[in-house]
Amino acid sequence: MAPPAQSQRSQSPSQPSGKSEVSDLKLQLRQLAGSRAPGVDDSKRELFKKVISYMTIGIDVSSLFGEMVMCSTTSDIVLKKMCYLYVGNYAKVNPDLALLTINFLQRDCHDQDPMIRGLALRSLCSLRVANLVEYLVGPLGSGLKDSNSYVRMVAVIGVLKLYHISASTCVDADFPSTLKHLMLNDSDTQVVANCLSSLQEIWSAEASTSEEASREREALISKPVIYYLLNRIKEFSEWAQCLVLELVTKYVPSESSEIFDIMNLLEDRLQHANGAVVLATVKVFLQLTLSMTDVHQQVYERIKAPLLTLVSSGSPEQSYAVLSHLHLLVMRAPYVFSSDYKHFYCQYNEPSYVKRLKLEMLTAVANESNTYEIVTELCEYAANVDIPIARESIRAVGKIALQQYDVNAIVDRLLQFLEMEKDYVTAEALVLVKDLLRKYPQWSHDCIAVVGNISSKNVQEPKAKAALIWMLGEYSQDMQDAPYILESLVENWDEEHSAEVRLHLLTAVMKCFFKRPPETQSALGAALAAGVADFHQDVHDRALFYYRILRYNVSVAERVVNPPKQAVSVFADTQSSEIKDRIFDEFNSLSVLYQKPSYMFTDKEHRGPLEFADELGNLSIGEAADNVVSSQRVEENDKDLLLTTAEKEETRAGHSQQASFGIDDLLGLGMPAVPNVPSPPQLKLNTKAALDPSTFQQKWRQLPIALSQELSLSPQAVAALTAPQALLRHMQSHSIHCIASGGQSPNFKFFFFAQKYEESSNYLVECIINTSSGKAQVKVKADDQSTSQAFSTLFESALSKFGTP
Amino acid sequence: MLQCIFLLSDSGEVMLEKQLTGHRVDRSICDWFWDHVISQGDSFKSQPVIASPTHYLFQVVREGITFLACTQVEMPPLMGIEFLCRVSDVLSDYLGGLNEDVIKDNFVIVYELLDEMIDNGFPLTTEPNILREMIAPPNIVSKVLSVVTGNSSNVSDTLPGATGSCIPWRAADPKYANNEVYVDLVEEMDAVINRDGALVKCEVYGEVRVNSHLSGLPDLTLSFANPSILDDVRFHPCVRFRPWESHQILSFVPPDGEFKLMSYRVKKLKSTPIYVKPQLSSDAGKCRVNVLVGIRNDHGKTIDSITLQFQLPPCILSADLTSNTGTVNILGNKTCSWSIGRIPKDKTPSLSGTLVLESELERLHVFPTFRVGFKIMGVALSGLQIDKLDLKTAPSRLYKGFRALTRAGEFEVRS
Repeated sequence: MAPPAQSQRSQSPSQPSGKSEVSDLKLQLRQLAGSRAPGVDDSKRELFKKVISYMTIGIDVSSLFGEMVMCSTTSDIVLKKMCYLYVGNYAKVNPDLALLTINFLQRDCHDQDPMIRGLALRSLCSLRVANLVEYLVGPLGSGLKDSNSYVRMVAVIGVLKLYHISASTCVDADFPSTLKHLMLNDSDTQVVANCLSSLQEIWSAEASTSEEASREREALISKPVIYYLLNRIKEFSEWAQCLVLELVTKYVPSESSEIFDIMNLLEDRLQHANGAVVLATVKVFLQLTLSMTDVHQQVYERIKAPLLTLVSSGSPEQSYAVLSHLHLLVMRAPYVFSSDYKHFYCQYNEPSYVKRLKLEMLTAVANESNTYEIVTELCEYAANVDIPIARESIRAVGKIALQQYDVNAIVDRLLQFLEMEKDYVTAEALVLVKDLLRKYPQWSHDCIAVVGNISSKNVQEPKAKAALIWMLGEYSQDMQDAPYILESLVENWDEEHSAEVRLHLLTAVMKCFFKRPPETQSALGAALAAGVADFHQDVHDRALFYYRILRYNVSVAERVVNPPKQAVSVFADTQSSEIKDRIFDEFNSLSVLYQKPSYMFTDKEHRGPLEFADELGNLSIGEAADNVVSSQRVEENDKDLLLTTAEKEETRAGHSQQASFGIDDLLGLGMPAVPNVPSPPQLKLNTKAALDPSTFQQKWRQLPIALSQELSLSPQAVAALTAPQALLRHMQSHSIHCIASGGQSPNFKFFFFAQKYEESSNYLVECIINTSSGKAQVKVKADDQSTSQAFSTLFESALSKFGTP
Repeated sequence: MLQCIFLLSDSGEVMLEKQLTGHRVDRSICDWFWDHVISQGDSFKSQPVIASPTHYLFQVVREGITFLACTQVEMPPLMGIEFLCRVSDVLSDYLGGLNEDVIKDNFVIVYELLDEMIDNGFPLTTEPNILREMIAPPNIVSKVLSVVTGNSSNVSDTLPGATGSCIPWRAADPKYANNEVYVDLVEEMDAVINRDGALVKCEVYGEVRVNSHLSGLPDLTLSFANPSILDDVRFHPCVRFRPWESHQILSFVPPDGEFKLMSYRVKKLKSTPIYVKPQLSSDAGKCRVNVLVGIRNDHGKTIDSITLQFQLPPCILSADLTSNTGTVNILGNKTCSWSIGRIPKDKTPSLSGTLVLESELERLHVFPTFRVGFKIMGVALSGLQIDKLDLKTAPSRLYKGFRALTRAGEFEVRS
């Protein structure tokens, strides 16, 4: 008879001091294992709870595996669930012991209670131990035929899990076609939905190798299947509806009557309480009508109200997601939302990420009829307690002003901002006034009067100061004090930390000089002297340039520095319309939230260069020691690699600034990193090298980066690289073989390998080529580190010959 | 397709981890996330969807608990966000509120729930009614029962019938001795009054909440006297669309128990029940504050629990505020709250006093926004009225009840 385990109620687990607790648990579990005493389940439950809570707070309790399995013979379903949870968590690290669990899980798969059958099956498939797959096929097969829909639903997902453990086992057992049958015939919609999601995943993965699978994948978006699913859509759970709707967006109807049928059928989905369903429906509507301009416009009108409701009634997180989508729509159809601008007024309590999007919406929907009210509202935010939002709203006012509606009123408002005597408000307003003047020079008279009253001592932010100085230079003829203000600024040259401001100051003094020479002459002299002595390269160069051109010919200098200007009509858009279209195609996806098409953030290629750029910085210093440092950086796995990228991403800004200070270093970048290294012995490569992909992957994971650099491609090479194959053949002729390649213009990615002649020493290369910038990012890994430099030289010369006849 | 869900406490501790797919997400992501949150100031400010170096993260913060989900693939963003919101709703419903202790004490139930709510990264069922039948909530009744019967399992022996029925939200065939159905109109008034005292925006967001205890498969119809005032409506899945489309009648088979039948919005209302008139005038480093509150339109119902809250600008050194009605408190984070309660018959509540500004400042440039709270029982300010509620094949004894309530939602007055 086992002693009852300590019966204290589980408190919130405190951090155990060490291993003693775990071994203590082990002992207690062992005592309970064989016991059939009454109440033993309760004691087990307490113990299990403890184990799970340890597991939850991250203590390794995998050593209890054996005992846990021994205790698992029970009819108590909570105990079973905890045990399943435990087993699922640790089976992967204990593949040998996992075999022990198969027995009881398989037994549970035949339990009378469908709930237990389902749970057992789910756990069985969640073990994810490759050498146990043979035990899965049987239970899965009977699970798919089970009379209870809960079990079938679990089994369907189980098939997908099996596929991910061992694709061949799954396909050999003919599970995909069973799923297809179930999908088209099962009475339970959750089973149908699970079949659909599993099949989509399986067939997409198979499609690259099997033609049949890609045919099957196509068949999913055929008319009969789509109609079958659509007709049952109301029976599906809300999440499954999203899945079906997503599938429908891929369907191309053959005639327009079909489009209307589908839209009629789905119209009420727009009223669904679940925002995900609404957004998925919106996507269907937009995609279906893309080719029908009139209907497309009507669709905008139709989807407007549901979307606005989502914004105002959901949680802030939901509003954020929906607003991002609205922002995308408003870019394409600003007029649709222009009468609903009040929806985008900010509430005091909203988180700033929502407010920021709302401000963007307000700028986007502003038009002739509503500008006055929107600007009035925005001006109220300028006095907001939340300073970043106050700044953004001032910027928004400026953006609206640049859109040419009701400029008159806006300029008055902006000038009021200047008089608010709040440093950040003044700063933002100055920048805006500058932009306004560039676009509407006719307002200069009103603006200059106000700007002239601002003391440059009260403006600290570089951007604002630069704007003020620009105006002083540009309108020095209208501002009485301009030369003297500039002069005092020049006197404080050494206290001015921002290079941007000093650059502007130089130019402004020049402009002022052309307009009012006698008053400015001394200031100009002082500025040029200070500029030439400046340690910042750009400032130095500009000062020198001005100095020389003045010496050459003053009137030429004036034509260069202060030519008559045309008003700017349009400021450059930050995003290309191509990218916007791309994002629109990816409506209802994360792309919209990031405002980037998915290839720009889900592909690792787009994150890679940041890391290289950094290592490149190290290389350019030209010290061999740096190579050692970078080669010591062990890439344990992909994740670590990426994590370090992020840290660098943060520091990148600072880094690039540093780089621009040291121009000499920068110039070193263009040169190959070889010169400082003694020329290595000639390396000969095996022309018939062979390496299978799995070995490659393994080595790539294990080996540290020996070398990483950026190479420039010749224009011929860029021209020749229309498809990855071209480069493959070329490199092969240099005994460098490709193991994998991919990408589309302008981004290509290659994995190459090579072997040393008559030795089995391998070199692995990752090469990312961007044809638009003509750069190649190269990472080399080698079995034999000492020859990696030699190999890299070889690789580089091979690459440089690409494209030349 | 979500890969993992974490629950974090308000100190960033991982309280729960649920791996969903074969791709295991390492816990270190939580450390990254927490550092990110700290760098943003607080989690309320950081965006709900963040790109970490390895994963895309969805976060929803409720009552200090962060629900964090990770994915590496493209997916509909609202699916992640909505799902996390549902998880938090279901948990708070099950555990009677959300906080660190209650989750730690009941982590087994949380695991069980997550197990049924999502499989392999895809949400399954989030209907509380269905979940309740699979996993019993840890309430006092079941605790007592377990002591009495010795059966301490909190999992029901039967599978919910609804997984097989074609009405996924309703358990098959409940039986009640007393058939009751209650309909509540709960409205929130959102209003913005600008610096000039003009009503910039005034809307009502309303919900129709139903609590139904009806035997069998009841088929209900609910109609309004003036449905045309409703602007955007959203329905519970049980509502049939066609009758609404053609006659503005809500026809539905209700879930058992309490649920939200419909939500709506009524826009462009012309007036608010109370007025708030703030006056701030600053001069020589001091700012005089005077705020008046009063009833604008008499709805014949008393207005309860009137409160006024505002954040003092950071540039204020000290504040001396008094009121003639109710109490004024200034909290540590410079939030000033004035609770008035009911407005007395004989006088107009007013708050007055002076604010002392920082030494260099002459005048105040940042103006506080006053947030107003109130509650009115027995009236729906949108004017929406229920006409009738019918039950097809009514049982012999049926109790029907209707109530209405209006609260202030985001009701703000700028100064």
